[in-house]
Amino acid sequence: MTADDQSRARYLYAVCRGLERSAIEDVTALDGQPLDAVCHQDLVAVVSTVPLEEFGEEALRRNLEDLAWLEETVRVHDEVIRAVSNRAPTAPMRLATICFDDAAVRARLREWYVDLTHVLDRIEGCAEWSVKVVAEAAEPGPEDPTSAEVLNGADYLRRKKVEAERRAARDSSVAEAASRIHDALVLLAKASRILPAQDPRLSGHRGTMVLNAAYLVPDEEQEAFAALVARLCTGDDRVVVDSRGPWPPYSFAMLEPR
Amino acid sequence: MSEAMGRSAARVQDTAPLSRSGPEPASLADILERVLDKGIIIAGDIRVNLLDIELLTIKLRLLVVSVDKAEEMGIDWWRHDPMLTVGERGMEEENRQLRARVAELEGRGDEQEEARDDR
Repeated sequence: MTADDQSRARYLYAVCRGLERSAIEDVTALDGQPLDAVCHQDLVAVVSTVPLEEFGEEALRRNLEDLAWLEETVRVHDEVIRAVSNRAPTAPMRLATICFDDAAVRARLREWYVDLTHVLDRIEGCAEWSVKVVAEAAEPGPEDPTSAEVLNGADYLRRKKVEAERRAARDSSVAEAASRIHDALVLLAKASRILPAQDPRLSGHRGTMVLNAAYLVPDEEQEAFAALVARLCTGDDRVVVDSRGPWPPYSFAMLEPR
Repeated sequence: MSEAMGRSAARVQDTAPLSRSGPEPASLADILERVLDKGIIIAGDIRVNLLDIELLTIKLRLLVVSVDKAEEMGIDWWRHDPMLTVGERGMEEENRQLRARVAELEGRGDEQEEARDDR
């Protein structure tokens, strides 16, 4: 695509290394368009044509607020990336990375060649797993708090102290369980990232999220990692382990600061 | 959610052989968490304010919760939070307030992430 057509642009999904053209032939991209490849040396930018009336600056601002539009776009973005990541080392791009034409895409590949190569070196032959560890909400103790009313002050404080100690012991045992799980998983991973715990009001989980982590797992360790997660899931009744994967290395596709 | 987690734990053992791309994510919440705020940032020709996407994540997580889970869980606090509902002030004012809140939250989140990032 050239700069002549000012009503359309190129949407950039991912940058791969050594991707064969046959890998993108049967994949339908955004707006029902086919995927194309823009190459620079061994790097291949996976792109498709999108209308600017939908993906231009003003339109994007509006469309990103539209949940149905966003869902469709995010799903296609992810489908394309999953399709190519099975065929070649793939670094996903941030959603809605758009250039006016192929020359502009190629200029980015040239400008960021070294950095993109480093990212691809890191994620080549690996996939990502997400593991979340949630401590179940504490069971109420045998003493009902309302019974505190009938206690004298000293007993009340003593009881408060016992409760605080029990809570601290529980918190530390849960933190220990989470770090034991993380330490075990890290041994099979090439890299890991600890992400901020999700807010339970937003994610809907009950209890306290004590670990939200992403692991970059080499292909040859995938089955061992899955088996280990499954074992950790059942090994500890203090916590619930939610694992998902493998999927393309979204959390590990980032450029080092220059 | 703990039930769902238990199911997903059981499913791990059934998923073989593993492909690198994995199964299609089931829910909108799953895919938004996976994709939004992730991936390589290289400025294109269309300027998308990244902060707008961060804001979007927050708004959408609220929205996803509201659609999928909040009502059955009896959660409706966001309905009454003027920062999270679009009022007559319109989107611009709402965005300004959310920006301020994101900046505040990011200040905290970044420190935590840097301190605990073990790469």
